[in-house]
Amino acid sequence: MKRASERGGDRAPDARRALDELFSATYEELRRLAYSVKRSDPSVTLNPTALVNEAWLKLARSPSFASTSRLHFKRIAARAMRQVLVEAARRRHAAKRGGDEDVVFVTFAEGLDQAVSSGQEMLALEEALQELERLEPRQALLVESRFFGGLDVSETARALDISEATVHRDWRAARAWLVHRLRRAER
Amino acid sequence: MDSARLRHVQAIFQQAADLSEAERPAFLHIACGDDEELRADVLGMLAADAEGHSLFDRGVAGMAGRLLGASPVPIDHHDAFGPYRLLRPIGEGGMGVVYLAERKDLGGKVAIKILRDAGLSPARRERFATEQRLLAQLIHPSIARLYDADALEDGTPWFVMEYVEGVPITEYCRRRGSSLEDRLRLCRDVCEAVQYAHEHAVIHRDLKPSNILVSDDGRVRLLDFGIAKQLDALDQPIDQTQTALRLMTPAYAAPEQMRGEPVGVFTDVYALGIILFELVTGQPPFDLSTRTPAEAERIIVEHEPPKPSAALGGNRRRWADLDVLCLTALQKDPARRYRSVEALVRDINHYLENEPLEARPDSVGYRFGKFMTRHRRTVAAAAVVFAALAAVVAFYTVRLARARTAAETAAVRAQRVQQFMLNLFEGGDKEAGPAEGLRVKTLLDRGVQEAQLLNREPVVQADLYETLGSIYRTLGDFARADSLLRAALDERKSVFGANDREVSRSAAALGLLRIDQAKLDEAEQWAREALRQAQGIRPTDNAAIGKATFVLGKVLEGRGAYDKAIPVLEDAAKLQSSTSGPTLELAASLTELANSHFYAGHYDVADDVNQRALAIERQLLGERHPRVADSLVNLGATRKERGQYREAEQFYREALGITERWYGSDHPETAGMLFMLGTVLSAQTRYDEAREVLERALMIRERVYGPVHPRVANVLNDLGLIAIKDGQGHLDEAEARFLRVSSIYKTVYGEHHYLVALAVSNLASVYLEGKEFARAEQLYRESVARYTEAVSANHIYTGTARIKLGHALVVQKRYAEAEAETLAGYQIVTRQASPSLVWVQTARKDLATIYDALHQPEKAASFRTDSPK
Repeated sequence: MKRASERGGDRAPDARRALDELFSATYEELRRLAYSVKRSDPSVTLNPTALVNEAWLKLARSPSFASTSRLHFKRIAARAMRQVLVEAARRRHAAKRGGDEDVVFVTFAEGLDQAVSSGQEMLALEEALQELERLEPRQALLVESRFFGGLDVSETARALDISEATVHRDWRAARAWLVHRLRRAER
Repeated sequence: MDSARLRHVQAIFQQAADLSEAERPAFLHIACGDDEELRADVLGMLAADAEGHSLFDRGVAGMAGRLLGASPVPIDHHDAFGPYRLLRPIGEGGMGVVYLAERKDLGGKVAIKILRDAGLSPARRERFATEQRLLAQLIHPSIARLYDADALEDGTPWFVMEYVEGVPITEYCRRRGSSLEDRLRLCRDVCEAVQYAHEHAVIHRDLKPSNILVSDDGRVRLLDFGIAKQLDALDQPIDQTQTALRLMTPAYAAPEQMRGEPVGVFTDVYALGIILFELVTGQPPFDLSTRTPAEAERIIVEHEPPKPSAALGGNRRRWADLDVLCLTALQKDPARRYRSVEALVRDINHYLENEPLEARPDSVGYRFGKFMTRHRRTVAAAAVVFAALAAVVAFYTVRLARARTAAETAAVRAQRVQQFMLNLFEGGDKEAGPAEGLRVKTLLDRGVQEAQLLNREPVVQADLYETLGSIYRTLGDFARADSLLRAALDERKSVFGANDREVSRSAAALGLLRIDQAKLDEAEQWAREALRQAQGIRPTDNAAIGKATFVLGKVLEGRGAYDKAIPVLEDAAKLQSSTSGPTLELAASLTELANSHFYAGHYDVADDVNQRALAIERQLLGERHPRVADSLVNLGATRKERGQYREAEQFYREALGITERWYGSDHPETAGMLFMLGTVLSAQTRYDEAREVLERALMIRERVYGPVHPRVANVLNDLGLIAIKDGQGHLDEAEARFLRVSSIYKTVYGEHHYLVALAVSNLASVYLEGKEFARAEQLYRESVARYTEAVSANHIYTGTARIKLGHALVVQKRYAEAEAETLAGYQIVTRQASPSLVWVQTARKDLATIYDALHQPEKAASFRTDSPK
């Protein structure tokens, strides 16, 4: 008279853990690509969209990404790219802090973009984006996808499961709010 | 600013933006009223909307270019390394550069190793930092201390280590012309350091002479402990071969490392073997310097090393032993190597003392291409368990405190830890790993200690407690399981309150524990609590309700209340079927449902349900998993009850094979399988085989469960039956067995359980066999009454009992009374069982006798034909 005893729980693959792994892999690949591109030719203009495509070409072959669609990957890459840039900005910021005491403020309104500290710009944007995440998470996702991941309107609509009209509207509102906030922070 | 406010601002902005410039002021006047801040925000947004914007319009390309185009932080940036200042580079190797450095405040020299090109993602960075802290706890005179580890802003890891001056061990011996004995002693020092690390669950993975320095005074120091392990964590598992080759020096890499298989203590044993070989003969066993990576891999994985004695030539006493010493460590199959570094040390000592070795020469030619042995799996699991536990504990401590984005907070939960851990212990063994210090229990205890430090993170702590508690339960340590599961429940209650999924799960886990402890009333209380909690969850959580229902059903089944258990378990299965795809929880519910049907005598239904469960288990777990064995047994059980013993035996043997392979021959699970096999052998009257198998099972169960446990009673019951049936007159033994069985069942289940009836009935059979008919009759009557009450008047057991009672009456020549019983019993039994069942035949024989005696020859004749009906 054998009674089978209960043994373990549900073993469905854990989405959370898988996602973290994907993210880590994407992050590291983007970073590696970005630095290697720059090292071979410092003057080349980095195109994040191209980086994302290149990263996808490599990672798509790996078994961990077997069930990831290209669109989903672009979403992850957008987040990863943002992370890469934030880290780089912090590094520059830290390095600068040691010596140069002049804090260069970003002045968007004047369109001075060549001489400004890109690191400061990125960090300010990151802070604003985090606040937007707190208030309107979907808009933050939208900005992240379009801005860092280079998703176009149709891709963004599909990734976030909203209409293209909503993408246009929300993008406009989010952009306006972010820029407004960035300017306000500088004053 | 909150969400509502932002939405409000944006809504006004949208409307205003759609108006012409002229219309806006009036609109804003109405929309904003006297809220100055609101107006300012909207106006600011309108302005932003109208103008171009450098950042947003250009896209991130330009900024990215500038950000990433900068050269990496200069290495000697004076703030980059905390309290340390780099002085000069002193070496290069592996994945990085080593600098001599000093502490800015205290002076004192250290070595700092910087791993270039190893940018970590934030998640891995934290994991890395935690594991480093653990490695810093390795304090041994022969291990270079790891003082600190950190990462630069851009993720580059760096380590601060004790600065060791010395030369590689092979170089040291060569320069001094050391004797064989001296070399062996040095090697032993190295082994002792490695053994120490193993006892702290750290595997080096990259042992080689350049990592083993000897200083002028002859002291051995090991470097780079755990660093190879960290590098593993850094590289993504995208291309295993690449990873393997890049990380290791091929000459010292073990076959399993080349193949990307899990490593364990046996991997370090192998590396020590190579080093030993090189020290003894002066050259490494494989010359890979001119080989391509692919060739090198093949050589390491397939070619046997030469014997040291052959490499040296010459004539020396005890060459053979030296050969055995080296070659045992260098076996391709980890299971054939020294089981621990300690074992290797013992043999080195034996050799030095001129004593015989413990290892045996491998005279039979060894062919590569072997299986994954149980030991390898559990050893690998043990080492990984600790690392996983520790990493996770710290992961949460650090992570939760600094969670930034929405995606990182609530989603990071111990769910994945629990699954990971339970997976490891699914086929868990009480003793994993070759060395004393690596018992799984030790690792778990440490895990508990770590978890106890998390008082400020009650949610995480609760998750870890539950994980650990479930593992203890699987391993049979009920006391620990109980305290941990209760702690988890209490914490969750205080954090989540009622109607929470986690609280429900905790209650369910406690219910299952109580069932295992055979405390069914408490189990029911927990099950109902879990159900209450689960039903209160919004939105409706079918999985949680299903789980709690399952536990309740199991309790009812355990009580023998099958009519009640069946609908409950069907319910559970239905609830658990509603998610996507089959799950193991569903399989578990189906199994219990099948069991309930089985005990209720519905054999066909039981088979159907078991087949469904088996299909799910095979699909999700593969063919060799213990749960598959369980389902096979259940399928065998219905065959057995129907008298199809040969088929039943086949199922049981298959199940036993799986179980023994998985758990080993001394494990309670194997005892269970042996028991099943014994019963079916006994049913085929192969009594000696049966007894042998059952006595093995009994020994294991008494050791594990103690003398008063239903599982012990089960085996005793069948041993008692054999004692009667084998016709050798072991009636005293049989009586003793059944008395014990009966007492156990009464203690555990109470007077009204059908198993008590069964024990009584079997006891009666002893007296029948011993021709004490009156006593037998009395007990048979009692058993019929008990069965009727416990199961039902129409149950097959009741039927059999009546046949037995009838038989006792026939033997006493009380034919009229006998007819009533035997006929009734016969009718009940034949409705369900195969006619070859022995009691059916007895009934037919008895009825023939009865009708003869009652002068009804036609009826008598009808019961004499070979095939009834």
